[in-house]
Order: sequence, then C-alpha cells, then structure tokens
Amino acid sequence: MPLISARALTKRYPGGVTALDGLTVDIDRGIVGLVGSNGAGKSTLIKILLGLIDPTSGSATVFDLDVRTKGTDIRQFVGYMPEHDCLPPDASATDVVSHLALMSGLPRTAARERTAEVLRHVGLYEERYRAIGGYSTGMKQRVKLAQALVHDPRLLLLDEPTNGLDPAGRDEMLELILRTGREFGIAVIVASHLLGEIERVCNFLVAIEGGKLLRAAPLGDFTEQTGTLAVEVEDGSDALAAGLAAAGLSTIVDGRAVLIALDGDRAYDLVRDTIADLGLPLIRIEQRRHRLEDLFRDAPEDGAAALPPPAPPSPGATAGPPA
Amino acid sequence: MTAPLPADSPTGSIYDLGYRGYTGPRLGRGFAIRSLFTHSLRTTYGLGRTTRAKLAPWFLLVFAVLPSISIIAALVLVARFGGQVSEIVGANSPIRYDTMFSVLTGAAIISLFCAAQAPELFGRDQRHGILSLYFARALRRTDYTLARILGFVAALLVLYLLPQFVLFLGRVLLATDVVAAFQHDLPSLPPVIAEGVLVALLYGGLSMTVSAYTPRRAYAVAGIIALFTIPGVITGVVTSLGSSTVGDVLTLISPGFILERTNAALFGVQGNFDTLFVGLPDVVYFAAVLVGIVGSFAICIRRFRTISV
Repeated sequence: MPLISARALTKRYPGGVTALDGLTVDIDRGIVGLVGSNGAGKSTLIKILLGLIDPTSGSATVFDLDVRTKGTDIRQFVGYMPEHDCLPPDASATDVVSHLALMSGLPRTAARERTAEVLRHVGLYEERYRAIGGYSTGMKQRVKLAQALVHDPRLLLLDEPTNGLDPAGRDEMLELILRTGREFGIAVIVASHLLGEIERVCNFLVAIEGGKLLRAAPLGDFTEQTGTLAVEVEDGSDALAAGLAAAGLSTIVDGRAVLIALDGDRAYDLVRDTIADLGLPLIRIEQRRHRLEDLFRDAPEDGAAALPPPAPPSPGATAGPPA
Repeated sequence: MTAPLPADSPTGSIYDLGYRGYTGPRLGRGFAIRSLFTHSLRTTYGLGRTTRAKLAPWFLLVFAVLPSISIIAALVLVARFGGQVSEIVGANSPIRYDTMFSVLTGAAIISLFCAAQAPELFGRDQRHGILSLYFARALRRTDYTLARILGFVAALLVLYLLPQFVLFLGRVLLATDVVAAFQHDLPSLPPVIAEGVLVALLYGGLSMTVSAYTPRRAYAVAGIIALFTIPGVITGVVTSLGSSTVGDVLTLISPGFILERTNAALFGVQGNFDTLFVGLPDVVYFAAVLVGIVGSFAICIRRFRTISV
C-alpha cells in the first residue's frame, strides 16, 4: 500500500482556474521531491492531502485513509509547514509550538517536552523564549519546521521550506530536512520550484506541471533521461534545429543555442555533420549541467507566479526522446 | 536552565541522544477542542501573553467590579456609623443583581471589552496566517470556530458574573445574620446566571462575527463598537417617542435593549429605562436573543468553513 495515493485528482477554483487536472500518482515512503514551477499545483495537492481543501473530483488517500472523510485522523500524524508566514509575532517560539502540540492532541506535559526537543533539533536555543517578531527569516523557517515535527508525525509535508532564505540558510534547512527524513524515519514530501535543491535531498521525484503529472520516478531516472547537449551557433540556429530534427533528434531552440536530447553517441556525430553541411559558425558545444531544469524549460517565468500556465506544453516534449 | 552541579561531579559531557519519537498517548480531537477553548479564554485576558496584552482586559474587569466594590464599601461605612444597612442592600440601592446589566452597559464596559478583545482571537489568527496551522491539525474547521467563540463567551461570562459574585459576597458576609442573608439572596442566583449566559452568548457571538470578517484590528474594533452603539441610539430615539408598531419592532435591532428586556423579565422587574412603553411581550425578546446567538454562530461557522487557507 502506497503512503499516498491520488486518483484522477482534480481541483478547480471558482473563477475557472484549474490547479489540479486529473492527477494520478502513488507516493511511497522516503524523501520525495514535489517539483513544478509556480502554479503547477504543488500547494493545492498538499492542501488536499491535508484535508484543508476538498478536491473537485477524484480521490486521494493518505495512510490508506480517505482525505475527504478521515481528515482529522490523517492530520494527527501529518506535519505541515506552509509556504507563507504563519507565526504570531508577539508570541515566543516555545509558546507557539507547545500550543500547536496540544492542538495535535498531545497531553500538556508531553507537549512541553517535545517542544523543547524539536526546537533544539532545529537549532533554536535561548532565543526560543523571545517573541517571534524579532526573529530572522531563517529562524522563523525553523520554528515552522519545528511546529510541523512537534507531534512526531509519520509524514511531513513541506511547502517551499527554503523560501526567503539566503544560501547558508538554505543549506542548513536542507540539511535539517535530510536528517529528519533519514535519521528519524519520517516520510517527507518537499514541494519546491528549485530543482537544484530538491536534487540534493530527495530520492524520489514527482514532477507536476499545469496540474498534471509529468513524471514520478527515482531521482536517478530523471537525471539520466534529461542529459542535454547545448550547441551554440553564431546564427542559423533554426536551420540547425530543423536539420537535426530531420535526422530524428529532439531539439529545442533557445536563442542562439539548440538544445538536443542526448540519445547515445549518435547525436555527437549528427551535430558535427549537420553543422558542417550547413556551414554554420559554431561557438560551443556543451553538456548542460542543470539537468532537471530542462523538464520545465517551457514553463512560465517565476513572475507569472500565481496563475497556472494557460496551456501546459505537452509533457515530455522537452525532456528528450521517449525512453 | 540547568541546576549547578555538585563540586565533585565529573565535568559535564553532552550526549546527542538524537531524535526520539513520541510513543505516548494522542488525545485527539476532543482534547484539542478543549485546549483551544481554554487557550481562547486565557488569550482574551492576556494570560500567557505580554503585559501589553493584559492591560485592556484587566482594566475593564477591574472597572466592571468597581460598582460592586463601591456598594460594599458604602455598606461597611454605613454599618460602622450605625446607619440603616437595609437602605443600601434594599430595593432603593442603585447596584443590585437586577440592575447590574444596566450598570455595566451604562458604562459601556461589555461592549468595550468585546471591541478590545474579540479581534485578539479571530483577527489575530487570520492576520498572521495561523489558521492553516490549526486546520492542519486534529481539529476540524467548525471545532476551531466553536472553541474560539465559546472561549470568548466564557471570558464575557467572567466579566458579567464576577461583579455579581463580589456583590453577593459583600451582601452576605457583611450581613448581621449571614445565613438569613444567604437564603434571601439565593433565589437571585438563577436569573443572574441565566442573564449572564444570554449576555455572554449574544455579545460574544456578535462581536466574534464582526472580527471573523475583519482581520484588520482597527476595523474590527470600530465595527464592534458601531454594532453595539448605533442600534442602541436608534432604539433609544424610538422608545422615547412612545409606543408604535414600527417603533416596537425597531427595538429588536439593539442587543443592549433586547438584553435589558430579558433581564427585566428574568428578575421579574420592569427595567428602569423606557422599556415600559414598548408593547411587545417578553417572549419576543427571548426569541430575538436566540436568533442573534444562533445566527452569529452560524455565520462564523460558515465563514471558517469556506475561508481559504
């Protein structure tokens, strides 16, 4: 039985925005990255799993319990770290976390003990008695993680946990997530649009775009498949792309560069021959390092934030030839 | 934080015990609801919060008890100088169980308390995005709503009953015959509690409804004060014009006036204001209180069922 199971999950918000569009996916224990650009439906999926919002249609289970009817049972064993600010500035970290432990059903003494323990775990010591209003973003994020952990959940749902953090803060937060998942044996789902981060902590990836599942696979499968060669030419990139496409390669034009899905050694020869035949001024050929980003190459810019893309690109088209 | 070690103990070493899971009991939804109720009551009085958060509620609570204390002080003085104590505890006294509501609303203590403290619950939770943390726990949305409202209602009940209790203590303990005084005052207990419950539920429900829809504190404060004063002014004008059908019905928009009538009915006395001139029977006012309570609770429940987090 998978930890989480979604079947044809659809969520339409009033006003016609479709956040999830027939999503079907099974997720097992581990540290799972939920990746997608802003507005892909990550937060919506997490909220449905928590029972915070109802799906328009379809079904989902967590721990084999229906999210529509067994919400309170599920939530006793799930920790949730929201993306947005969610802490009262006038209360101390200790007050907030121990109060929320009670709200998860922990007895008073246990709530106090666990609060001290998780706050220490996330790296808050003396400052935990001070009002949260004076905390840095990094400290606030730690408190948010602590409140999600305080009732010792079996599943952690983290929505953009590195939001607003500087590089050092990101590293620390990712390290915490990694430890929480590996050492404590708590299943973790990390939603993020930053693939570089997700890659560092997750062992399984679920990629969604426009509310649809792009792919769910172990991390290794993603990186293998998305090997990409970037060929930069002075001009004539369209002609090059057309020529390579005619030879059977998947290509995308990206300014002066042509991105080619690597498909064995054959691609290198084809690129050399095609460029020679067309007589194009070649600048460079390189293997792209940002492997996972290629999955979302056609996704809207970050600025397009809240709204999901009107018509998502056909999945897989940018990722390379069918495996 | 740590107790000083005895001198001969080995130098401390820190052991990283690592993360320990929690295997103890999980008390679930019922416990979470009770805890949130207690938390709401405590938060309303600023308990477990900063000194600044305690100022307004405690100031108003002290003010609410002042009339009772003053009457007791008068009682003590009159008894000492050999005056007629019955003048002060009797029907001519301005501060009695049945006039307490008028005394408190006359000083606007209840509505000021609502305006100052109701936004501390619903408003604060919405302003800082805390709702999503509550809804992600063992609670359901309606559990959250009811625990919050009832916690505030309990706080209002304290505000109303404490002055009554102080008055009761003074009247009984300072009487020459304590037992007789106790027996004399005991029949007032049911109407005191009944009126207290109605006052707390109606004022609590209405002010929490306003704060549920106005996360911004300043607007909520203004809204609650407007809700409790503007209808009162209209009703005051209407009743001073004398009875007419339209005028009588218009008295039903003022929470203060409605509760004045239920108070008079519960204690079996006519209110000391213009309620004499209003032709509607008492039962209409009890019905109005009920409609106000059920309506405001329902609106709050609906609000938090549909609010997006």
